[in-house]
Amino acid sequence: MIEIKDLSYVYPNADEPVLKQISATFPRENVFAVLGQSGSGKTTLLNCIARFLHPTSGQIEIDGKDIASMDELEFRHTLGVVFQKLNLFPHLSVLRNLTLAPQKVFDTPLEDARKQAREMLDRLGIGDLADRYPAQISGGQAQRVAIARGLMLQPRYMLLDEPTSALDAQTTQDFANWLTELSNVTSFIIVTHDLPFAQMVATHGVYLTDGNIQATGEVTDILNQVQQPTS
Amino acid sequence: MRKYKFNVSMMWLLLCAGLFVAMTRPAYAQSPELQADNKPLRVALTGKFPPFNYYNQQGELAGFDVDVANAIGKHIGRKIQFVPTEWDGILAGLLGGKFDTIIGSMAITPVRARQVNFSKPYYHSGAQLFVHRDNPAQVYSIDECDGLKISAVLGETYQHYLDENHPNIDVVTLKSSVEIFELLQQQRVTGFVTDRLVGSWQIKQADRPFVPVGGMLYSEDIGIPVRMDDTALLKQINMALAKIKADGTMKRIHQKYFGLSTTADNAGKATMSDAVIARKLLKGFAVTIGIAVASLAIGFVLAIPCGVILNKPKGGMLILYWPVRTVVDFLRGTPVLIQLLFAWMGLGLSPFTAAIGTLGINAMAYMAEVIRSGLMSVDQGQVLAARALAMNHLQTFRFVVWPQAFRVAIPPLMNCVVALTKDTALVAVISVSEVIREAQAIISVTFEPTKYYFFVAVMFFVVTFPLMKLASMLERRIAQRGFNHD
Ligand SMILES: Nc1ncnc2c1ncn2[C@@H]1O[C@H](COP(=O)(O)OP(=O)(O)OP(=O)(O)O)[C@@H](O)[C@H]1O
Ligand SMILES: [Mg+2]
Repeated sequence: MIEIKDLSYVYPNADEPVLKQISATFPRENVFAVLGQSGSGKTTLLNCIARFLHPTSGQIEIDGKDIASMDELEFRHTLGVVFQKLNLFPHLSVLRNLTLAPQKVFDTPLEDARKQAREMLDRLGIGDLADRYPAQISGGQAQRVAIARGLMLQPRYMLLDEPTSALDAQTTQDFANWLTELSNVTSFIIVTHDLPFAQMVATHGVYLTDGNIQATGEVTDILNQVQQPTS
Repeated sequence: MRKYKFNVSMMWLLLCAGLFVAMTRPAYAQSPELQADNKPLRVALTGKFPPFNYYNQQGELAGFDVDVANAIGKHIGRKIQFVPTEWDGILAGLLGGKFDTIIGSMAITPVRARQVNFSKPYYHSGAQLFVHRDNPAQVYSIDECDGLKISAVLGETYQHYLDENHPNIDVVTLKSSVEIFELLQQQRVTGFVTDRLVGSWQIKQADRPFVPVGGMLYSEDIGIPVRMDDTALLKQINMALAKIKADGTMKRIHQKYFGLSTTADNAGKATMSDAVIARKLLKGFAVTIGIAVASLAIGFVLAIPCGVILNKPKGGMLILYWPVRTVVDFLRGTPVLIQLLFAWMGLGLSPFTAAIGTLGINAMAYMAEVIRSGLMSVDQGQVLAARALAMNHLQTFRFVVWPQAFRVAIPPLMNCVVALTKDTALVAVISVSEVIREAQAIISVTFEPTKYYFFVAVMFFVVTFPLMKLASMLERRIAQRGFNHD
C-alpha cells in the first residue's frame, strides 16, 4: 500500500505548485492506474514517489514506512521505475542491461546474475534478444527489456510511466496481456493518459486534474465521472 | 563493442608505458665521469654554426668553438658539458642559469655587454656582404644596396647593424643560412651579410655561386659571456684564454679550421654519413614520440576530472568550475610556443619537463572540452535509470555515463592526439633534441633543407595518418551503430 499524505510539489523557479496537497492511497493491487490529462502532474507525482524529486511538503509511505527515511538499497528493492523513454543503456547488450545493477550494486556473482537475467528474458518472451543492443530491437521489445531490467531487483511495486506511448494497438494488447500475468508477483502502478488501456489492465485508480485528485475508485466509475473523451 | 573495449584498455596500457619511459629518461645526456666536487662547466652553443660549432660525421659536436671550449676546460680543470641551444634564446638561457657560459661565436656588442660580462676576445672577424655571382643588381658594396633585399640571420648582430646603419635596405631575416642560401639561389634577395669566415666556408661547403663584394662592413670581437655575478668564472676563462694564446694552442686550432696549409685536410670540412643522419633522425623522432606519448597520457588523465567539472557543476564542484574554466580557456587561447618559452625560461624548468608539462596541460585543456561535450551528450535519463537501479554516483559515472561519453569523445580525442603530436615540433625551440632540431643540425652541415625537412614531415605523417584514419573509422562506426533509441 502506498499512502500519499498532503503531498505538494513546487518546481524550483515556478510559483504555482504542480501537486496541491494531494492525499491518496494506492492499495497493493495487481495493477493500479494513475490517470489524468497531459500536464496534470502525473509524472511529477511518479518522480516524488520514486524519490527523484523531494516533496515541498507532505510525505509518502510505502507499506507503512516513510520513503524519506528508507535506505537507498532497501528503497530500490521495494520500488522499481520504468521511464516513459525507457532509458536503456545503449552501450550495453540487453543481457548486460539486466545484469549491471545486480552485479555492481548488489554483488551478485556475474554467473548467477546472467542466469537470472536469461530466465527473466525468457519469462517475458524475449530470450533471443539477450545479445542485441538497444538500438537493434523494436520499441515493444525495448519496453519489455526495460521492465525486465527493473524486475531484476525484485521490487514489490513497480511504476510505469506512459507504458503505451510508443506502442501500436496490437502491441498494446499484447502488453496488457503479459502485464496482467506479471502482476501476480509485482504490483504495477501505471501512469497513463491512455484510458482504454487503463481499463484493460487496472481495476482501481485515481484521476489527477491540475494537481488535484479529482476522482478515485474503480477505473470504470472514474471514466464515467470525468466523462473524458478518450484519445 | 566488446572488441572495442579491449582496444581502449590497450591504448591505456600503451599510454602508461610511454609515460613511464619518458619519465625515467634523463633530461640531458650527462658526461660519464663527473667529479662530485667539480661540476662540469655547462657551455651553450647552437651546433649549427659550422665551422665554429657543428655536428661532425660521427654526429658529435666539433668545430673551432668546441676545440676552444675544451682547451679552456683543460686549463681550468673542469669537464665541459655542451648544451645545444637555439640562438634566439641563448642569452636568456644564460641569464636564466640554464648553463654557465656560451662559447658559440658571440660578438661583443654594447647591448649584450650591458646584460653579461664578456671575456677578452678569442677571435676577430667581421661582417661581409655576399652576392650571387651573376650579380643582377650590379652591387659592389653595401652602400649600393639601398632599396634592395639583403638577408641576415634572425637575431644575429648583422641584422641590427643593417637596421641601424642602412635603414633603406630591406632586411629579410631568416632562421639560418640554409634558408638564406635557398633564397639567394632563387635570386629572391640581392645578397646577404654574415661573418666573412663563416660565409666563405658555408658557400664552399654548399657549393653555391656566391661571392664576397666590398670590404668588411665592420670588424667585431668574439668573446665568451658569463653572468654578471659570475666574476670567478670570468677570471678563470680570461686566464685560460691567455694561456691558450701563449702556448700556441689557439694558433693550432685556428690553423686547423682556417689555415691555408690545412685546406686539403678534412678537419674543417663537415660532412655526415648516412648512418649518422639516420641515427640522428631516428633518435630525434623517438624523443618526439616520447614527449607526445607522455604529454598525452598526462593530458588525458587530467582531462577527465576537468571535463566533469566543466560539464555540470553543482555542489562542491561549483567552487572548482571557474578556476578550471579559466585555466582551460587561457591555455586554449594562448600560443603553445609562448607557453613553452614561459615554462622553460620563466619557470626555469628543464627543457624536457617544460616540454612534457606544457604539452601535457595543453592536451588536458583541449581534451577536457572534448570530454565535457561527450558528457553533455549523455541523456539525463541515463542517470535517472541508473539511480532507479540503486547505483551510486560513482557507479553511475563509471558504468553508465562515462562509457557513453567516451565513445562519443573518441574521434575528437584522436584529433587532439594528432594535433598534439604535431605540436611537439615546437619544442625544438626550447632546445629539446627532438627530430626537428636534429634535422636542423644535419641541414647546417649538408645544406639540403628540402630533403631533410621532407623526411621529417614524412616521419610525422607516418604516425599521424593511421591515427586520422582510425578516428574517421571510429566516427563512422559510432554513427552506424547509433545508440540512442527513440
Ligand atoms: N522541470 C520542471 N520545471 C518546471 N515545471 C515543470 C517541470 N516539469 C514539469 N513541469 C510542469 O508541471 C506540470 C505537470 O507536469 P507533469 O510532467 O507532471 O505532467 P504529466 O501529467 O506527466 O503530463 P504528460 O501526460 O504530458 O506526461 C506541467 O505544467 C509542466 O509544465
Ligand atoms: Mg508525464
